[in-house]
This record gives sequence, structure tokens and C-alpha cells, in this order.
Amino acid sequence: MSFDVLFNQFLSGIARGALLFLVASGLSLTFGVLRVLNFAHGSLYMLGAFLSYSIWKWLLIPVYGFYVATLLSALAIAGIGLLIEYTILRRLYARGWPEQLLATYALILIITDIVKWFWGGEFLSIPRPEPFTKAVFLFDFPFPSYNFFIIILGLVLVFFLWWLVYKTRLGDIIRAAAHDRDMVSALGIPIPWLFTSIFVLGAFIAGLSGAVTAPYGAVALGMDIEIIIECFAVVVIGGMGSLPGTLLGSFIVGQVYSFGIMYKPELALAFIFMVMAIVLIIRPWGIFGRPER
Amino acid sequence: MKKLAGFTVFLCILTMLLVPVTVLAGTKASAKDPIRLGAIWDYAGPCYMLSESAVQGIKIAVDEINAKGGVIGRKLDLIVRDTEMKVDVGARETKDLILREKVNFLVGPCSSGVALAVQVVHAESKVLRVTCMANTEGQVVDKFTPYVTQVVPNTYMEGVAATRFMNKKYPAAKKFCTVAPDYEYGRREEAAFAEEIKKLVPDSEILYQAWPKPGEKDYTSFITAIMAQKPDAVHSSLFGGDLVAFTKQAAPYGFFEKIPFIALYDLPVFVALGADAPEGVMAFGRGCFFMDPNPKMMEFVDKYRKARGAYPDSWAVQAYDSVYLIKAAVEKAKSSDTEKVIKAMEGISLDSLRGKFTIRPLDHMGSVPCYQGIIAKDPKYPFKTWKDIVRVPGDQVWRSEEGVREVWKKTGVTR
Repeated sequence: MSFDVLFNQFLSGIARGALLFLVASGLSLTFGVLRVLNFAHGSLYMLGAFLSYSIWKWLLIPVYGFYVATLLSALAIAGIGLLIEYTILRRLYARGWPEQLLATYALILIITDIVKWFWGGEFLSIPRPEPFTKAVFLFDFPFPSYNFFIIILGLVLVFFLWWLVYKTRLGDIIRAAAHDRDMVSALGIPIPWLFTSIFVLGAFIAGLSGAVTAPYGAVALGMDIEIIIECFAVVVIGGMGSLPGTLLGSFIVGQVYSFGIMYKPELALAFIFMVMAIVLIIRPWGIFGRPER
Repeated sequence: MKKLAGFTVFLCILTMLLVPVTVLAGTKASAKDPIRLGAIWDYAGPCYMLSESAVQGIKIAVDEINAKGGVIGRKLDLIVRDTEMKVDVGARETKDLILREKVNFLVGPCSSGVALAVQVVHAESKVLRVTCMANTEGQVVDKFTPYVTQVVPNTYMEGVAATRFMNKKYPAAKKFCTVAPDYEYGRREEAAFAEEIKKLVPDSEILYQAWPKPGEKDYTSFITAIMAQKPDAVHSSLFGGDLVAFTKQAAPYGFFEKIPFIALYDLPVFVALGADAPEGVMAFGRGCFFMDPNPKMMEFVDKYRKARGAYPDSWAVQAYDSVYLIKAAVEKAKSSDTEKVIKAMEGISLDSLRGKFTIRPLDHMGSVPCYQGIIAKDPKYPFKTWKDIVRVPGDQVWRSEEGVREVWKKTGVTR
């Protein structure tokens, strides 16, 4: 295999990893602070994709409508996140895992049926927005510029989350709450408020990532389950609730899948879960995770 | 203890309530009762939309037939069930349709995987199913049962026809790659391709086969891996939303300018892709109006548009044909008795929306046509369609009777 071929396969893996990071970061953030595994994160992502399609269609701004639609749908999903946190999740923090899983799994079914009822079963698609319609050439090999857009968006999100978690006062509170929520509460910080805002942020990220995948592939039913399974692999490998862990996990899953496809396409998907199994055996809490107390 | 006693009483009452129902349900259907048609479809994932249009096609046919007095003086009753595209749910719902709804005939489903699971159930209960979308050859060849009739080109026929078309357009192509969804349908279509291309081009070579999972959203790695092989042409059996995603992701690589490609580009894919549909690329399909614009088909288009406000795809066409096939067989048998209808169905000819086809008595495979063409703009429609259309009658591409018997020898079917 020549270098340019390998490099291109590597880039494909990076693009896939970036997409996974977009979705998994929101999942991991919510888990890190709230200690709730939001099964329905993928459903919010799917809803974001469908919403952005409808808004884009309704806006009728051919060139830049996509960006407006993306922002609006991410905000709308954040609003839905607020509603979900306020009505359902808030009541479950004190309960055990089974209740949390059941409730968020119920949300998957509810959101899927809402999408079916509202959009029907058609697969939809948004054309790529300007200026990302063409390919750029690297070593004489074309690479779609929209993939770069997703990679850049992933990087921006990494820096934003890093800044938020490690450089702001809110970030201090978030990290403290992830560590010991009773102590933070005793210091007079309103935990319910903090939890709501984190969940809303997670929902916003889900909506945003759903919206940017709309021009990438097809918007279709089933994309929720499909992504959430791979996101679980990402956060299990990287470590639940860890930002660098999610980044590394996305990178590993993206590359393993991409080169798996090249050398042994029948097993590409299995490789991901083999890596996950190995990590689980050696470090059950993930590469960057902390053991549960 | 008291609680337990209460529960026992409750159970007794429940049993008493249920007994008369089962007795009633057991009474024999009279000659004036409606003929009950069970539609078993997969309202989930990539199959959702396909199932919706199929059931619409079935409804239009049923309404039409009932408006004209039904079949042998009996109305058609339609009962629709959802498998959620899961084999276990499919088996359960089929059982329920047979035992509780007492359906006479079944039409469906969408997924080939579900179809094979459903087949076990209705074959055991001796109920006839017409399969018009799930097209795995397994239904009529490997796992043959007299209780299945197929009116959609099976994976073998479709694969062979598409391969011949590709070979005709690119006779010099020798090195190939394939990309297909990783399940029953995709595996079988590519097996048919591999078998046929070896016959057509004996020194051909398959360099690489990609098996994305159904519903895959990101084909980038598959696309770069295929392009790295520098194939002369790529054969694909991707369809629906998967094909939409693949096409959009492959286009910026210049994939379609560099590599001849064929896949299941049909109406819903064109509607979703809009201007992004790649002109000049080869396509195969199962027969919708722009592939076969005969008068009967165009009449159906009008009816469907009136009912749904959209153009019918090939899935609706085949489902519509299935109902008329059942009608023709029941009329020929002058009875809704399954065994008599099966006898009548063997060798029957139907003047369908896709032209005339015949059911081969040996394996109950319909000689339904396969279509191929080249993607092109069409001023008549708000979406792209095909040009240079080829219609291949099913009996030119289906497995010969000897071929079928050969497979049967391996799988243990005796007939």
C-alpha cells in the first residue's frame, strides 16, 4: 500500500472519529456530571437531523440556509432537553440505574414514534452547503471538504468543552459536582440548576451533531440506535465522563473501523468491539476514566 | 393465601370469558364470508417507507376489487401487521394473523431476513404468502415451500441481470469491487454477481468486497478503500437511504466520474437526492412508472397520486400486482382453499402493471421483469429518472429448472 492511500484511509477515519466525538461528547458530559446514562442521546441527535431538514426546507435560503437551520435546530433540541430534564430526568437522579435506563429507553421509543408520525418513514437529505460542496486535494487524492468541516467542528467543540470544564468557574463547579455532589450542594450551589444546564448543553450538542450530519448522509429512522451503540463503544474505551477519554475513544474507534474496512471488511465492526472488550478487561473504567466509588 | 385465592378466581373468570371466543373463532368460514388478506410489513428503519408504499399499493388494489364486487362474489378484508423489522416479532405477528385473524393469504414483508423467519411459520400452518419485496432467492430455492409465490425478481435474477447490463456497457472491465449491505439480500446479490461475471468474463477478478451494515451513515472509509483498489467497475446492491448516503459521500471524491458504478437507484432515492443524483451512472430497479411507462402502469400512477399525492414507486407496483395475482388464482380455483389456490397459481399468467408474467410451477417464481438504465434528467418530472432503459423478462435470467434442482439436492428439498 502506498503512502497516499494509507493517508487517505487515515483521514477517512479521522472524519468518522470527529463525527463520533460530536455525539459522544454530549453523552459523556451528561454522564460525567449527572451520573445518568442517557440512552436517548442518539434520539435527540436524530431529532436534530430531522428538524434541521424541515427548518432548512422552510427557510428557502439556498446557500447559507443550512447554517441557520443547524443553529435553530440545535437550540430547539436544547429546549426539548430542558423539557425532558425538568419533567423526567430530575425525578430519577436519586433512583438506581434500572429506572434511569428504563426511562431513557422509553424516551427512545417515544421520540422514534414522534419522528415517524411527523416525518413519516422517508429518508431525507440536504445538499452540502457552500463552501463545502467540492473536494480538496491532498497528495493528488481528493478529500471531501465537508469532512474537513466536520473535523474542524469537532476540534472547536473539543476546545470549547475543554475551556468550559477547565478554565471557567462553572467548569470548577462541574468538576466538583462530578466528584462529590453533596459537598458542592453543601457549599450553597444549586445542584438542580447546574444539572439542568448541563443536560441542556448535552442536548444542544446532540442537536448540533444531528444537524451537521444531515448533509453528510441521509436523514432516516434508525440513525439514533445506530450512533448510540458506537458512542457507547467510544465512551467505554475512553472512559465514561472524561473529555480527553472521549476524544481518544473517538479517534481509536474511527481508525480501527477505517483500517478494518480496508483490510478485513467483514470484521470491521467486530474489531471495534474487540478493542472495547480488551479495554474492559485491562481497565474496566476506560483509558481515562476513574473507577466508580 | 387470600391473595392467591383471589387470583385463582380471576383466572377462572378469564378462562370462562375466553372459551366462547375460541369456540366461535373455530367455526368454519362460509362461502359468503370475506376473503381475509394479511399484510405483514416492516415499519422500521430502512423498510419503513417501502412498507408504507407497499401497503398503499395493496389498499388501492383491494378497494378496486371490492368496488367491482370482490373475488368470486366475496369481499376482500385487509389486516395490516407490523414486524418492526425484527424476525421474532415477524414470526409472532404472522402466527397471530393466521390463528386469530384467520387470514387466507399473506402479502409481505420488506426485509429478506424477516421473510425467511415468517416463512417457517406460515409454511407450517399451510397458509400461502405472496412475497413482493423481500427478494432473497432463499424463499423459493434453498428453502422452497409450496406456500410461497414470488413476484419480485429474486436476488439471483436481479444480480444476473444487473451484471449483464454492466458487462454490456463496459465490456473491457475485468477488475471489480463490490459494496453491499451486510445481510441476506446484499450477500446473495453479490454472490449472483460473482457467479455471473465469471461466466461473462472468465479472467475477471473481484479485488475487494465492502460489507457496510444496513443503515450505515458514513461510507467514507469504504469509498477510499474501494478507490485505493483502482477497480474497472463497482457492482453494488445498496438501496434506499444507504444508497443516498453513499452517493453523497462518494461524489466529492469524483467517484462517479472515475469508476463505472451500478446500484438500485429507484424513485425514492432520486426524490431524496434531487440534483445530487449522478447522471450517467448505471441503475437497476424492479419496475416503477419511468422504467415501464405502459398505459396500465400510468393509469395506476394516476390512481396512486389521487390517493397519496405522490408518485408510486416500484414497491407499490409489486404489492398491487400481488393482490391481483391472488385474485386471479382464487378465480381460477373457484375457491379460497389454500391447496386449490396453489394448484391454480402454478403456471398462471397475469397481465400485470409490469406486463405479462407467469408463475413457474416448479419453484413458484414469477417471470417478472428486471429493469436497468442510465440515470438522466427528465423534463417531465421534478426528479431524475432513467434513459436507455432495458427490460429483461424474468425467464431470461432466472435459475434454470435444472439449476434449481441442483440447489435443492444440496439443501434437501424434494419435489
